[in-house]
Amino acid sequence: MAESLSDTLWDVVICGTGLPQSLLALSLSRSDKKILHIDPNEYYGGAEAAFSLQEAGTWVNRLSLPTEAGSTRGVFRAASITKPPTASTSLSFPRAYSLALAPQFIHARSELLSQLVSSRAYRQVEFLAVGSFFIIKPASAPTSAKPTIVRIPSTREDVFSTTAISAKAKRVLMKFLKFVVAYDSDPQTELWQQHADTPLADFLHEHFKMDAELQTYITTLTLSLDGRISTKDGLAVIHRHLSSMGVFGLGFAAIYPKWGGLSEIAQVSCRAGAVGGAIYMLGTGIKNTTTTDGEIRLELTSGDSVKTRMLVRGDETVGGEVGISRLVAVIDSTLKTLFEVVVEGAPAPGVAVIALPAGAVTTAGGKVSDSPVYVLAHSSDTGECPVNQSVLYLTTLSTTDSKDVLQAALGSFLTAVSEDRVPDVLYELYYEQDLGSVESQTEDMIFHFPGPSLSLSFDDRTLGPVREAWEKISGGEAVEPDYMIFTDREGALDDDDVYD
Amino acid sequence: MYDTQIKLLLIGDSGVGKSCCLLRFSEDSFTPSFITTIGIDFKIRTIELDGKRVKLQIWDTAGQERFRTITTAYYRGAMGILLVYDVTDERSFNNIRTWFANVEQHATEGVNKILIGNKCDWEEKRAVSTERGQALADELGIPFLEVSAKTNKNIEEAFYSLAADIKKRIIDTSKNEQAGAGPSVNVGDNGSSGAGGKCC
Repeated sequence: MAESLSDTLWDVVICGTGLPQSLLALSLSRSDKKILHIDPNEYYGGAEAAFSLQEAGTWVNRLSLPTEAGSTRGVFRAASITKPPTASTSLSFPRAYSLALAPQFIHARSELLSQLVSSRAYRQVEFLAVGSFFIIKPASAPTSAKPTIVRIPSTREDVFSTTAISAKAKRVLMKFLKFVVAYDSDPQTELWQQHADTPLADFLHEHFKMDAELQTYITTLTLSLDGRISTKDGLAVIHRHLSSMGVFGLGFAAIYPKWGGLSEIAQVSCRAGAVGGAIYMLGTGIKNTTTTDGEIRLELTSGDSVKTRMLVRGDETVGGEVGISRLVAVIDSTLKTLFEVVVEGAPAPGVAVIALPAGAVTTAGGKVSDSPVYVLAHSSDTGECPVNQSVLYLTTLSTTDSKDVLQAALGSFLTAVSEDRVPDVLYELYYEQDLGSVESQTEDMIFHFPGPSLSLSFDDRTLGPVREAWEKISGGEAVEPDYMIFTDREGALDDDDVYD
Repeated sequence: MYDTQIKLLLIGDSGVGKSCCLLRFSEDSFTPSFITTIGIDFKIRTIELDGKRVKLQIWDTAGQERFRTITTAYYRGAMGILLVYDVTDERSFNNIRTWFANVEQHATEGVNKILIGNKCDWEEKRAVSTERGQALADELGIPFLEVSAKTNKNIEEAFYSLAADIKKRIIDTSKNEQAGAGPSVNVGDNGSSGAGGKCC
């Protein structure tokens, strides 16, 4: 039979199947290293998992239990599920849903995509286009009795053709977009350098004479959680957005992995690890570690005792004071108007981004939101819900009122997008997520990945520690240019079939 | 060239000979000793069915069956599944129900299945009779074949009959909604010469 776990001296034990651990498994999948990959959870993906309704229920229940002595509670908390009693439609079967804990989309120029392509893992992931960005404007009597939704023109063609803004605003936006294209070279650099660390909105006001509304358009494109992104960071993000436009096709700058976002990438990476010979165990954590001359002994919760040269795991400690609150809502509408193709020849988008700027949301208790709320709307094309439904991921910075803020934001959103009727909410999952540790750490032969990023689009800084861990494990054998560059496995070379 | 592509999965306990069936069918080769499968993602063979060329893409479990850690991603887009047990191993036969339940949970509704009893050449070690195999298949409502990857008995038949069933269900009823026929974006062939990096 297959080799026993305890007789093997593993080169590395990887604990956790979140994105960084899974990418590490992918990076080592052609290395001949002996790898044991375990996860205390019964599911793949860690903080980037995607859940059926049943799994979501189990997850929420687990989080409500008191943490065992000696273990940390992790980055998630305050989770709850509500199923509003709706009249017209009901939920489909639990497996028809795949709710993502990490609904981040990925910019076309992200290093993650280059690595997925060069490692050939992309062949097993399906991507959808991320479409338009919108803003919700609160109801303002007498012109509009209900909140309205406006598409943000984000390319020059877009600005040119939009009817949503005045001719003067168009000129201002055009000038700004032209500036951003080459913002990082002279003479543009001089313009913003002295404002690098002050809010982008101020810079837009001062240099481009943008009014509050245009400033909001631009800051929304940055997806800044507090809405106060600095000029330096803001320009970088918008430049990334613009330069990602058209890379994989007309009319979109980012893509989203079907079936639950980063969860799918984690799973495909783990499978690549398994194809390369790594052993996988779920529902298995580490009870105890002891380090003795050049070896780590691990007592696993499965009862097995294994020895390894290196251990890589996630860091469970909660770091900063900032966190996010998220409301995941399943609704009985296709939200057709949000997923329209705006550039001829562009693929139908599966994701739309809608912002409710700071101040745009008032809770039932009269509290006004002081940071933006972002809604990532996913169509059923993402495979996350049945047809005729959509999944909304609402995110805002955590405050004592953020649950109420998200509820109110959901209400405004649904009113703003409603045509003949306001869509029904079929299911709600609420939770809060803390910022974990920000840096990777190494002690002896143990490497810790930092906690997951809270950003709404994939943060390339997630990739650095994966490479660091890969270098440590590869030791002297590490050859830089080979990182994540693999040829297709024999099966993938199609068409020239072996025989008929 | 081919007219249609069909994705098939092999599922079943460790050691029942899933990879052996796969290698016999795709390469007409056989290795008798037990080696945990390393390096096989999937294999491809194009066959002809009713005058149409059908490309079979057959996926192996990559050892993730050992501790039941097969990813849900593995099941995506699968049109047919071969549930494999070893006729000389009672346990592997008893576990078929669990694998069947897994398939029901993760694979697309209506996916075609076939029950396969491998190693039928090894009569002196047989632990599961043909009748019991057939009875289980009847209970699950799926076709059944005993095969031997070693002697190449019924291997062709197993894959051909599953492929034919799928062709009948999907292609002939012209409901060719292959998973992923949607608005997917191709990130691989970055042939973006025209639009590449085009901004505003």
